[in-house]
Amino acid sequence: MPVRMVESPAPSNSSGANYGQTCLQPCSLLSVGQAFSGTQNVSSPQKDEAWRVNVRIQGCDLDHGYLCGTMEALNVPMADTPVVTFWEGEIVDTKNHTFFTNKWKATSEVDIEHWTKFPSFSPLLSQVEVDGGKSLDLSNYQYIFMRWKEQYFVNVGADCGLTIAGFYYVCFSCVDGSINGYYYDPNSSPFQKLELKTTNEGRSGFSFSSYELQ
Amino acid sequence: MPGSASTTHRPEGLIERLRSAAADGGEAKLKVLRELKNQIIGNRTKKLSYIKLGAVPSVVSILSSASSSVDCLLIQCAATIGSFACGVDAGVKAVLDAGAFPHLINLLSHSNEKVVDAGARALKMIYQSKAAPKYDFFQHKNIEFLISLLDKNNENVTGLGASIITHSCETNNEQKILADAGVLKKLINLLQGTTSQRESSLESFATIIKQNPEVITKFVGPENSTTFGSLLELTKDRYPRTRLLACICLTLIKNATSSSSSYLQSVGIRTKLILVLLELVDDFGQVGDEALFTLSSFIEHEEDLQKLAFEANTVDKLCHQMQKESLQAKRLEGIFTTLGNLCSNLEPCRSIVLQSPKALIIITDALTHTTIDVRVAACICLKNVSRSVKYLSAGHFMTDAVIMPVIQLLYDASTSVQVAALCTLVELSKSMDSTVRLNAVWALRNLMFLVDSRCKEEIFMDLKLFPLTRLISDSNACVQEQALGLVCNLVNGPVDSIMYLFTEGLLLNTVGRELRRASKPQVLVQAMYVMCNVASGKEFEKEAVMQQLVNEDDNNQSIIVTLLQSDVASLRTAVVWTVVNLTIPTGAGALARVVKLRNAGVVSQLKNMVNDPCLDVKLRVRTALGQSMTFGDFST
Amino acid sequence: MSLFWSVIRQLAEIEAMATSKKVITRDEWEKKLNDVKIRKEDMNKLVMNFLVTEGYVDAAEKFRMESGTEPDIDLATITDRMAVKKAVQSGNVEDAIEKVNDLNPEILDTNPQLFFHLQQQRLIELIRNGKIEEALEFAQEELAPRGEENQSFLEELERTVALLAFEDVKNSPVGDLLDISQRLKTASEVNAAILTSQSHEKDPKLPSLLRMLLWAQNQLDEKAAYPRITDLFTATLEDPTV
Repeated sequence: MPVRMVESPAPSNSSGANYGQTCLQPCSLLSVGQAFSGTQNVSSPQKDEAWRVNVRIQGCDLDHGYLCGTMEALNVPMADTPVVTFWEGEIVDTKNHTFFTNKWKATSEVDIEHWTKFPSFSPLLSQVEVDGGKSLDLSNYQYIFMRWKEQYFVNVGADCGLTIAGFYYVCFSCVDGSINGYYYDPNSSPFQKLELKTTNEGRSGFSFSSYELQ
Repeated sequence: MPGSASTTHRPEGLIERLRSAAADGGEAKLKVLRELKNQIIGNRTKKLSYIKLGAVPSVVSILSSASSSVDCLLIQCAATIGSFACGVDAGVKAVLDAGAFPHLINLLSHSNEKVVDAGARALKMIYQSKAAPKYDFFQHKNIEFLISLLDKNNENVTGLGASIITHSCETNNEQKILADAGVLKKLINLLQGTTSQRESSLESFATIIKQNPEVITKFVGPENSTTFGSLLELTKDRYPRTRLLACICLTLIKNATSSSSSYLQSVGIRTKLILVLLELVDDFGQVGDEALFTLSSFIEHEEDLQKLAFEANTVDKLCHQMQKESLQAKRLEGIFTTLGNLCSNLEPCRSIVLQSPKALIIITDALTHTTIDVRVAACICLKNVSRSVKYLSAGHFMTDAVIMPVIQLLYDASTSVQVAALCTLVELSKSMDSTVRLNAVWALRNLMFLVDSRCKEEIFMDLKLFPLTRLISDSNACVQEQALGLVCNLVNGPVDSIMYLFTEGLLLNTVGRELRRASKPQVLVQAMYVMCNVASGKEFEKEAVMQQLVNEDDNNQSIIVTLLQSDVASLRTAVVWTVVNLTIPTGAGALARVVKLRNAGVVSQLKNMVNDPCLDVKLRVRTALGQSMTFGDFST
Repeated sequence: MSLFWSVIRQLAEIEAMATSKKVITRDEWEKKLNDVKIRKEDMNKLVMNFLVTEGYVDAAEKFRMESGTEPDIDLATITDRMAVKKAVQSGNVEDAIEKVNDLNPEILDTNPQLFFHLQQQRLIELIRNGKIEEALEFAQEELAPRGEENQSFLEELERTVALLAFEDVKNSPVGDLLDISQRLKTASEVNAAILTSQSHEKDPKLPSLLRMLLWAQNQLDEKAAYPRITDLFTATLEDPTV
């Protein structure tokens, strides 16, 4: 192949006063309307189990490090319909949000414990341990880290036997749009793994839709 | 006995007596003038009929021939002329045509204060009308005269000075001349005076600082803290109009100076101002209307301020207020504009509007209001409320109760649903007014976002009725952008929806033509995403896109290469995605398309972009190149 | 979302808010009242403000001489204002209008609602005096155009003209218009407009202070039992009832 490709640079440790001030670049695979499907592994010591899961991005505001969408779980035990939740996400852009959660019962130890499960996090670890990643410039990094927190059940009542008390640590790959995540909730089984791939909904290619935020 | 007076009260009779009085003079003059004055004050219809009958020149001729020692006659003349000029443009014109101006000016130097009052009042009335001539601030002697007016210890005379400024000061240069001549300072001093002095001074003050950061920095800066302090103090004044005007001045100061400046940064003051304005909104007259627009302009573009306004329960209040019956157009416009502003960023505001009973129905109803400004405001409000991703994505767009009634109405195919939002929007999208058109298409585009195929079909059935092609080629680029966004959403989702573009036949051609013709990057981006979405379809759809983008008979550079060279990253992204879709190796015609694209120079252009500064572009370029190379490398 | 790992127990006990009211004795209360110092001059100003606003010009003059409190308005203007008010109260509306226009022609020229109410009062007086023909002509010539300019004027006008339709006007649904209270209402509206044009509050401060007192007491009633003032004429403190 005659084209020389510069390999993806490691995230730079930007110096000076403007560290951590760059917004993430928009990634078209993480834009509104994009759909993903895959599984959530809910295995517990008692039982091996995985749910089929569909996710759709409903809103995205990179300036405020905000993302939201719906999540649909298909073969949930005891539920006779798919269970849909609405979630809101924090994008770790080191400007609006760092790797440290500082809420939702997650200590920085819990944070690191979950983030390190993503291989793409390892180049960042040492700096995150220092300051939560505040001084990292992730604007050219090929992975986007997020926290997704479900806000409410869309189509079932809160008595459906499921909890949304926890949240997901999420890592998104800009290269192929794949998503990996881990659910964290002290009252649920640990490290339930979420694995999603971008879907084309029966098309031979990628399609996009949008609404205007202006 | 008053009963018999009715015939002499008739304008014709009085006019005759006025004419003869003007000629003969004597006691009769005073009597007839008083009678005329008392008939016209407060009575617009009488004013107009007397003006028509030529009363004004007679009054002016009495004034011009009156000896300066007959004070009562001067007062009655001036009062009558002033009333003719009050609130009636035709009256102002008649007064000026009759040559009253210099005589009234003469009265200002009279020794009797009551004569001065009457003269100044009449002149003030003239300057409160749009029909008054523009005062020339560029002449030095005029500025001197103006300042002498402001220096007088008479509220009518200073009021006249202020009215001249409010009426005539329009340009930045005029603002600067007045400010440099020390007028702002004099106006500030007048704030200590009577209510009418305060209000007219504030109004002129606002006129001089409006959108003029230079004047504001120089004269209202922190070193002039007393000015600022006085304005803040007046927001607590006991008169609503004074409070409003003080808020208007402070809003102008904030809006004209950059956010980095030190004006109005304190959260306390900001909150206070919002609360004052909100309280004024309770007034259902002009003050309340203006307070709404001031509030709206105060919080526009600043999310922090919108948050403060939200915390002050602005949304609840306005939602409550809009339920009132028979609101005037101005009030509705103000409510929708302010709500639209608040809902542009803040999700909690949208929640309240969406949960407020009837609020959405009222907004939707207003889309058919007879006043154009109300329609525009309602449209913008609806657009911003409908940004509530949280509510709209609360499940299925079709059934959930939270879904905007608009969608419900769209879904209702029955023509008897009179306020069917789509029809309204479609109707509005034909409007001659490009703002209305833009907002309508904009709302339609957002409605089209991710609706299910059944709903999409309903919308499209109606859309077909109006020339979507014309909107795509609209003279206003913003309308084009939204129309293309709408088409883009239309053909996204279930793969069958691409068919919509082919049943209409011309639509894809129209989009292709805009790609070659348009210059606004956002229009090109949307057009390209239409191509991209179509190219994610079946083989013949991909071929249709190829025909639009690559013309082998044309020796010029292919449009696709030109667009790849754009310096707008989002446009490059859209183009590369289209190439990705066209070169997906599994397609039967993929090889042929790759060959065509290579011949058109697309592949070599992509090779130049493997290190594109935009990460998104860079990654897609690599995908596209990877796919085209599965057919072998043609670069040699 | 996830399945519950273990059932979370939530035991929320609602604490009965058995709040009992605090009792403040008369002694405590009077001691607190005595600690509040109010300047004599401020009290005098309040009284003067009342006399001036209500138009008691002679009393204001006497009070000025006795207490040395300066009125915040030229006492001569009070006489003019009172003359207008009196004219309306005695049904000479046309006379009142001329007097207002002499005082300041801007008042009626820039206050359509007040102007309408005065004209309406003129119509009422014509009807009261049985000058039906003249009333009809007046309504047509002077009031109908105002109704065209403003919907709420039109409604009021219709109500007023309805006076002509009833044999026994006094007992008709619009009989209140003939009431003396209607004159007083109009008179007080003119009075207020003149005061406003003279940069003076249209209402005296004293009544609003009393209203504030009642409001504050009502608020306090929910939290405490204390010596409250019920009779505003005597302003006596009543012993708290528990």
